Amino acid sequence: MWGAVLRRGVRGAGGLRCLSSGGPPWSQVVSEAEKIVGYPTSFMSLRCLLSDELSNIAMQVRKLVGTKHPLLDTARGFVYDSRNNLQMRGLVILLISKAAGPSTAELSFQHDMVSGIYSSQRSLAEITELIHTAFLVHRGIVNIGELKSCDGPLKDMQFGNKMAVLSGDFLLANACTSLAQLQNTKVVELISSAIGDLVQGIYYENSKSSEENCLTDDIGISRWKEQVFLSHSALLAKSCQAAMELAKHSAEIQDMAFQYGKHMSMSHKLHSDLQPFVKETSSDTMAFSLNSAPAILHQEFRGREAWLKQIREAQGKGNIVDYKKLKCALWRASIFQLQEAIKAGKGVTSAIDLCRCHGNRALAALERFPPSEARDALANIVYAATRFP
Amino acid sequence: MWCEGRGRERNPFRCFCMGNQGNLTSNKTTLLKNTVTRFHHTSISHWCSCSKTISDEKYQDPFQLGRKDLKNLYEDIKKELLVSAAELKEMCDYYFDGKGKAFRPMIVVLMARACNIHHNNSKEVQASQRSVAIIAEMIHTASLVHDDVIDDANSRRGKRTLNQIWGERKAVLAGDFILSAASVALARIGNTTIVSVLTQVIEDLVRGEFLQLGSKENENERFAHYLEKTFKKTASLIANSCKAVSILGCPDPKVHEIAYQYGKNVGIAFQLIDDVLDFTSCADHLGKPTAADLKLGLATGPVLFACRQFPEMNAMIMRRFSKPGDVERAWKYVLQSDGVQQTTYLAQRYCHAATREIRKLRPSPEREALVHLTEMVLMRDK
Repeated sequence: MWGAVLRRGVRGAGGLRCLSSGGPPWSQVVSEAEKIVGYPTSFMSLRCLLSDELSNIAMQVRKLVGTKHPLLDTARGFVYDSRNNLQMRGLVILLISKAAGPSTAELSFQHDMVSGIYSSQRSLAEITELIHTAFLVHRGIVNIGELKSCDGPLKDMQFGNKMAVLSGDFLLANACTSLAQLQNTKVVELISSAIGDLVQGIYYENSKSSEENCLTDDIGISRWKEQVFLSHSALLAKSCQAAMELAKHSAEIQDMAFQYGKHMSMSHKLHSDLQPFVKETSSDTMAFSLNSAPAILHQEFRGREAWLKQIREAQGKGNIVDYKKLKCALWRASIFQLQEAIKAGKGVTSAIDLCRCHGNRALAALERFPPSEARDALANIVYAATRFP
Repeated sequence: MWCEGRGRERNPFRCFCMGNQGNLTSNKTTLLKNTVTRFHHTSISHWCSCSKTISDEKYQDPFQLGRKDLKNLYEDIKKELLVSAAELKEMCDYYFDGKGKAFRPMIVVLMARACNIHHNNSKEVQASQRSVAIIAEMIHTASLVHDDVIDDANSRRGKRTLNQIWGERKAVLAGDFILSAASVALARIGNTTIVSVLTQVIEDLVRGEFLQLGSKENENERFAHYLEKTFKKTASLIANSCKAVSILGCPDPKVHEIAYQYGKNVGIAFQLIDDVLDFTSCADHLGKPTAADLKLGLATGPVLFACRQFPEMNAMIMRRFSKPGDVERAWKYVLQSDGVQQTTYLAQRYCHAATREIRKLRPSPEREALVHLTEMVLMRDK
């Protein structure tokens, strides 16, 4: 019940994260994978969670209850995420570390290996989750100048922003500190550049929602892929590569790890984007983004003018539609009509093809790793991300 | 042998300025009362005579001396900011317009030269040391961008702030990007010690921002809190960048400590003067009080000193000047008290300590420039 409430809440906020709520096969895949890496997977480091600063934040965030600042939803999402095992980045890093096995090179300083994973690789898994979480928080900064009276008191929103900037910065600073402790400047460079990629990816998401003159970005699928790589794949891909570097694996293995991280997360993102179009139970129409893969592909097949016309027609059915909300998530009648339009075209099937194509490339990268339980678990993650009803 | 022992024992502020990070604040609080009262008896002429001896030695304009190393500084920073989206690029470049004082990079390159000469009389600045200057300015700018969002600021350096022009959401991302680019540049130096030293700055900046959120009831604790915040938000960046270039230039840990202590003391003095200027510069330049810190609810040095004379300010400090009229009343109290003067005295003592540290290095024009720079910190009026 709690989950359902939250899901609705998150969807209202923009419809990005709710789509990844995987069904039973996904959670089963994850719980089996967790056993392989030997630790329960809470990747937010205890040191960080127990710090004065975060408890200070937690106290302050309480003041936001009853306001409309998105930081509240994000904070709730932490609980929701961990219960539903969606913190999969850390898990993937541990699995690929284990799949690659112990280093062949001399590693004088890291003899501490637990369940086949070096402690530096475990730190890296934590760092990756910290960075990801920091940006969940920074994604939820509100533009004060765009607020309307229905958003509640200005002061609350300013306070929420202040907390969001601070807590995101705190998580990032902790990630930087742990990163420095890994004593490997190549890894620092890789992960720092991944942060830069993530910022650019999120920046594209943001600029979309604030542009006034077009409903959807006029981008093709290749541009879409570039942007999604930055916002959804770069961090995981580079973290997988860094995990190999920490164990001094060869450049070839490092590249394969990068490819797995990249293509697996691309297929995962496509899978999420497809959920509103492939769910069998149509009782609850799911919001979808006009910038999700099926919509972008649909636009590519139909041509931009025809697609804009379809949107305008649907818009007419949705009665009074807030122009701003229409851009991210359309109201029911409009949503339904547009969904049907996309389903009728080739957008959905080609998005599924694309998802499987990335899945296959992820599996191909895995072939270069020796057979193991960990490798099987990584493959199962790909299967789950490419499974459609 | 290069140490000039002068002043060490004579200086009543020694612990005040030289305390190690661990017990820095507790030392300071207990000493504060003594030092402040004692300072009334220390004639200002003592300080002036000090400056005189400094100026009598080979005079160096620090900004002239470091200028050649800082040529194209901002161009090089912009090259580090590799962004494909034009608007985000514009935002990231926004403050690197060459109009800043480049105070931090200046200290860093002068310190690099002073340490290199001290070590083996080398007259060159290493590329990695110049990178540290660039990284310091980038980290500083990234933190300004986030501070402006947190404080809801409208203008900085006579320009509109990023959040004012592009909105808070994008401004925060631009700050994050500048930080990530600084971190990439830092990693490329290829030295894990340097990475650790400068990463400490990032942690301190955030922790300093948290310290600024809270206020302490107890008067002494409050001052310690203020000094700790000042160290973390301002001095840590200067101290650790100085330390980083000294590590790159010279293997002797004693030199690293000298560089760190110089940067720390100058950094604290710099911020103390900044806090004074919040009360004085506006009166001189604009003819109206801005008191930006008071409006943000912050009790800085001048306020804390004034509070000793006007205990009725306590309640205002605790409620962070939130009631109507608080800001104006606090402002008046500060100007009626000797808060501004006391804070300036305190800054002088930190500069004095910085000078004493840097004089432990072998003499060089750069060393003298760093000495001169401490005087400039005290004399600046904007």
